[in-house]
Amino acid sequence: MDSLDPRIARLHDIRAGEVPTVGAHDYGETYEVFHQAKRGKHHAHVGTVHAPDPELALVYAKEQYGRRQQTVNMWVVRTADIFAFPYDDSDMFDSTPQKIHREAAGYKTRDKIEAYKKKQAQ
Amino acid sequence: MEATQELLFKIADDALIMGHTDSTWTGLGPTLEEDIAFSSMSQDKIGHAWNLYQMLHDKFGLADADTLGFKREEKEYKCSHLTEVPTQDYAYALVRQFFFDHGQFMRFSALKNSSIEWLADFSRKVTSEIKYHTLHGDTWLKKLGAQGNEESKARMQSAINEVFPLALGYFEEGPREAELIEKNIFIGEKALQEAWLEKVGDLVAQYGLTLPEGNTVDPSLGGRNGYHTEHLQPLLAEMTEVTASDPEATW
Amino acid sequence: MYGGGYIPEEEKRKQQHMEEDPAKLAEFEARIDNGEKIEPHDWMPAEYRKQLIRMIEQHAHSEIIGSLPEGTWITRAPSFKRKMALIAKVQDEIGHGQLLYNAAETLGKSREQMMQDLLTGKSKYSNVFNYPAKTWADVAVIGFLIDAAAIVNQVANSKGSYGPYSRALERICYEESFHLKQGHDAFVALATGTESQRAMLQDAVNRWYRPIIHFFGPSDKDSVHTGKLMRWKVKMMTNDAMRNQFLSSYVPKVWELGLSFPDPKLHKDDNGEWHFSDPNWDEFYQVIKGNGPCNAERLAVRSWVETQHKWIREALFNPNAKYTLPLS
Repeated sequence: MDSLDPRIARLHDIRAGEVPTVGAHDYGETYEVFHQAKRGKHHAHVGTVHAPDPELALVYAKEQYGRRQQTVNMWVVRTADIFAFPYDDSDMFDSTPQKIHREAAGYKTRDKIEAYKKKQAQ
Repeated sequence: MEATQELLFKIADDALIMGHTDSTWTGLGPTLEEDIAFSSMSQDKIGHAWNLYQMLHDKFGLADADTLGFKREEKEYKCSHLTEVPTQDYAYALVRQFFFDHGQFMRFSALKNSSIEWLADFSRKVTSEIKYHTLHGDTWLKKLGAQGNEESKARMQSAINEVFPLALGYFEEGPREAELIEKNIFIGEKALQEAWLEKVGDLVAQYGLTLPEGNTVDPSLGGRNGYHTEHLQPLLAEMTEVTASDPEATW
Repeated sequence: MYGGGYIPEEEKRKQQHMEEDPAKLAEFEARIDNGEKIEPHDWMPAEYRKQLIRMIEQHAHSEIIGSLPEGTWITRAPSFKRKMALIAKVQDEIGHGQLLYNAAETLGKSREQMMQDLLTGKSKYSNVFNYPAKTWADVAVIGFLIDAAAIVNQVANSKGSYGPYSRALERICYEESFHLKQGHDAFVALATGTESQRAMLQDAVNRWYRPIIHFFGPSDKDSVHTGKLMRWKVKMMTNDAMRNQFLSSYVPKVWELGLSFPDPKLHKDDNGEWHFSDPNWDEFYQVIKGNGPCNAERLAVRSWVETQHKWIREALFNPNAKYTLPLS
């Protein structure tokens, strides 16, 4: 092909106007990528890669999601293997005032201790 | 030329020309993810070359890296034929990469023990980067070899047959080989080739493919002494087209 | 790199008649008014989904096609620094395409289908990449001015309402700042270099001027359609506003180097608004239709990629694979 790009000009079998069919599974499955920046930190979800299998998914995750960040480890998980809540149910995460028994702020012992000490001192 | 310079030039020229020919795939890879991975390796290799030319400049007072990389005569390049050949078939590109990267990995691993401290230091850093390159190549040979279909196996096997003589040329000895070995700068090409053959032979067999018998193959020699394939001259002309258009300019 | 805010609108009329559940629509719009993001499996109006797919897909195509004009000079970049930076930049563009296809996929269209629609010409990409990179100076102009224009658009869109698109754009904008820096560096090197370098650069600026004015698309400030997309935070700024912001920031940076644009009418008025000659919008529509200088080559290259590597896909094909949308 007549191209300003010498790389393109050299390609064999390149023709304008011929449109190939892209198969429905040509790019493999999707894998979710988890990235750990430092030892001691959690792995965090950073994105997705398309790959035919987990080994290549890892090879790809390293360059697509690790080439600029500091990285010590990565995981890939098939998207199909992840279970998630639907966003429709996100109201379920709203907490009510009764849930105060789970919060540190729900326990105020200092007042009682002070009162006790005061009473003992009398 | 001093033995160490000769060694640095051949490693640098290999890395530059390999990185350059690999960059012809940037934007044209089989999938977006593979394109990204392959481009990274091309950049790594050009970066290794840059570092090595820089050492030639710093330690031996030669010209700066850009001049050494871009402005020498074809005969002065010491790259192996393996790095010069154009690749338009991805099987060929992968096999070439696989042979080369295992060679580079083992070469730099050996240089970690070099009597030249700064070269040993550099080699320690580079091997960790090349580890990924070999993982990439190994994974692909496995996928398209043992785990592939009939067509992919046939394509990979024919690429191996075609590239193997070029790969053997990577281990061509330079004129000052004996001095490098004697001074414990480098273990020498013979020892390197032996270790490499064992390693890639094992891997290729594991991936359901076959390495041609060594004695049936004529290694493609000449590169280390400045005799190149017909591909190098046009490659260099293309690489320096812009710089040659205005030699006074900085870019 | 991105291709401007122009979204083809051929199906606009049809979409405006789509009926939506008013209660759900109210809840959806309240969420957006509240500054909350919409996530992939949320309820969303069909038109919102459709316009987002169209926009993100077009953006993704623009990245991978956009890698080709600059790729023209990969094997000829004139120093180690320029060579590595150019490969890294083209690589980033492929990487941006990857992120954006993923974001579009969360809305229900597969990457395979998007690629097919690119190849048949059904989906579009930014016109600007249908122009040739004739000299090394074109790489500098693209890396500086086209990337700068893209950043104006992408920074605005990163504040949009769709979670996956915003997340992708945040990372993209971070990487684009490297592109802009290296583009400016290459631009300044030529502008402050020898006579022949300056002449080469001025020639490239002249040739890219019109595509740059076209970049953000024709004026859409009076379009009802734009109003709705802006209300839903699909589109964050009008085309004119983005173009004006770009011209304000970057025209002076070109002028300060003693270079000019081939338009005597180009100037900023006292209200901060830029004016320019009629950029011939017919040419713009012609290029969209496929009649630009490089449309055929760009698509031929992507078709070659699909055909050339088909044997690899067939070898790796897993018959048990099922299609799952990316999660986020």
